[in-house]
Amino acid sequence: MHYLFRRFQRLFIVMIVVTFVTFLLVNILPGDVAYEMAGMDSSEAEVEAIREEMGLNRPVLIRYAEWVGGIFTGDWGRSFINKEDVWHAIMQRFPVSFELMILAQAIALAMAIPAGMLSAYRPNGRGDRIIGAIAFASVSMPSFMTAILLIYFFSLHLGWLPATGYEPLSEGLWANLKPMILPALSLALVEWTILMRTLRVEMISVLQENYIALARAKGMSNRRILWVHALRPSSFSMITLLGLQVARLLGGTIIIEQIFGIPGVGRLLIHAVYTRDFIVIQGCVTFFALAFVTANFLVDIAYAWLDPRVRTRGAHG
Amino acid sequence: MGETILEVTNQRTAFATGRGLLQAVDGVSFTLERGKILGVVGESGSGKSVLSRSIMRLLPGTAVTGPGSRVVLNGQDLMQMSEGELRRLRGPQMAIVFQDPMTALNPVLTIGKQISEVLTFHLKMGKRDARRKAVELLRAVGLPQPDVRVDQYPHQLSGGMRQRVAIAIAIACEPDLLIADEPTTALDVTVQAEILDLLQRMVRERNMAMVLITHDMGVVAGRCDEVAVMYAGRIVEKAPVTELFRNTAMPYTAALFASIPRVTDPPHRKLDAIEGRPPDLINPPPGCPFAPRCRFAEEACRRTVPELEGTATHQWACIKPLNREVAA
Ligand SMILES: Nc1ncnc2c1ncn2[C@@H]1O[C@H](COP(=O)(O)OP(=O)(O)O)[C@@H](O)[C@H]1O
Ligand SMILES: [Mg+2]
Repeated sequence: MHYLFRRFQRLFIVMIVVTFVTFLLVNILPGDVAYEMAGMDSSEAEVEAIREEMGLNRPVLIRYAEWVGGIFTGDWGRSFINKEDVWHAIMQRFPVSFELMILAQAIALAMAIPAGMLSAYRPNGRGDRIIGAIAFASVSMPSFMTAILLIYFFSLHLGWLPATGYEPLSEGLWANLKPMILPALSLALVEWTILMRTLRVEMISVLQENYIALARAKGMSNRRILWVHALRPSSFSMITLLGLQVARLLGGTIIIEQIFGIPGVGRLLIHAVYTRDFIVIQGCVTFFALAFVTANFLVDIAYAWLDPRVRTRGAHG
Repeated sequence: MGETILEVTNQRTAFATGRGLLQAVDGVSFTLERGKILGVVGESGSGKSVLSRSIMRLLPGTAVTGPGSRVVLNGQDLMQMSEGELRRLRGPQMAIVFQDPMTALNPVLTIGKQISEVLTFHLKMGKRDARRKAVELLRAVGLPQPDVRVDQYPHQLSGGMRQRVAIAIAIACEPDLLIADEPTTALDVTVQAEILDLLQRMVRERNMAMVLITHDMGVVAGRCDEVAVMYAGRIVEKAPVTELFRNTAMPYTAALFASIPRVTDPPHRKLDAIEGRPPDLINPPPGCPFAPRCRFAEEACRRTVPELEGTATHQWACIKPLNREVAA
């Protein structure tokens, strides 16, 4: 109970800081939405009238308090440009971004776990060195470069997968997944390497443990020792990282959604930036922060699953 | 003569280290029959654990096994076997109990899972049968409330209980050979005797053979049929327990006896640890490796390494054995 309270306390502080900084930044930036709404060839008086009408002339702190108050009561405001409800706009696009991120992390894990195990099994062996080299090449390339290479190779050259577009799940699972593969892969090719390295280091030390020696003495196969006995105790740092990576991934999706024309929250944010639609910008950033905090909350729950010692400690106190 | 379970001949195990080859086990030979317990006693670093891992063929990649080494288990030459064939023997034919029960069990798997996996893996038992058998085994090793404990994790058990679990794992597939590598060293004095009694009972009831490794002469007394004393990777004296006690030949063995803690000792008395340090195994001194620490050593002791000699039941590696002025 106490633990949960502390968590919420932290969440509250994080959200206040994030919203305040965003609000200030967006409002300090030159150029405001009033220009945008008034149109190119409007007079200064017209722009001023719009500012007056929207309350943009009032002090920053008051406007911030109003906006944050709205967030806590579920009113995220309306877009200045098209009057769309901000919460609604985000929720409409969020499933798309969410799918992209989950897919990217799933691909990253599917690459990192077997590769990390193979590396840890014989550190500095041939497999370890080959994997290390691939990982180095893979992490050296930013995701947008990878994306362009993937598009060139798989879409233009081989013609296997589409370069842009999005299909909702209602069109069928494969139709939905097909245009998501390259964007997710672009993100995963950066993320998997650090997961792999983290797993490798932790697993090398776990493989020295007495209980692994006992598993060998029990006649267990190498595969079983790696997957059943060593993987879970080796995953703590990797799981922590998985949560922290959500921040980078959110940044990554903004670019990747742009390149692949995926209608996610990232696109919404970029569009809002172009149009100085700052209430949408604030909404998106706040939402990203919420998503990040939630992801790391889930990581804490995953700890309990990984380590029974955490679980029973929780049960007692 | 009973049925021979284990036959170790001239086992030599070395490790490649930065300074050179470290000869951890240096020409060990013995045989062990069904139903018998062999005690292996020696100071820390004398090669007991490396010997046990050499028998199980569970050595790290840096280990080098001497060319003449032979380990024969139930008539099968382990040196000739592939890793896959060895795996099928570990569990059903040979098993080991490690020293430290706090680290020998996997912290993320339940007790039941850690026992039943050997049953499903080796004996192809179904999940439910394996679980039932696991509870049965936990009861057999004297764990209270076995049907509750089976679903618990190692951290929920005391050291003594964990060692009981480790024993349950070891005997699950009814192996012929059980190696217990200092099974009570990490435990409270009060539980030590219980665990040793349990091991002894399991060996007798299930008609196994056991190698009981310890650094404490007091542990082997009354429990082993035969005792092999190890020093610097070699067996330096071997005899049935009472013979060893009455007619100790090696000064090193005598020193080990002298270091047994006695009930009559005042509490926390410092033990008579043997003076000096074990020899460097990378660059061993010439002659008897114990000579630099031996009160009785003479010039001749420092020249040649003594071979094991003596009678059919009692052997020693010493050119000036105690209590035997007339014999030689
Ligand atoms: N993996 C290894 N690499 C190098 N040296 C080792 C290794 N394992 C054990 N040794 C050395 O072998 C000798 C015997 O060790 P060990 O068998 O563990 O002694 P103990 O009798 O206490 O069980 C020691 O000198 C130890 O340092
Ligand atoms: Mg040892």
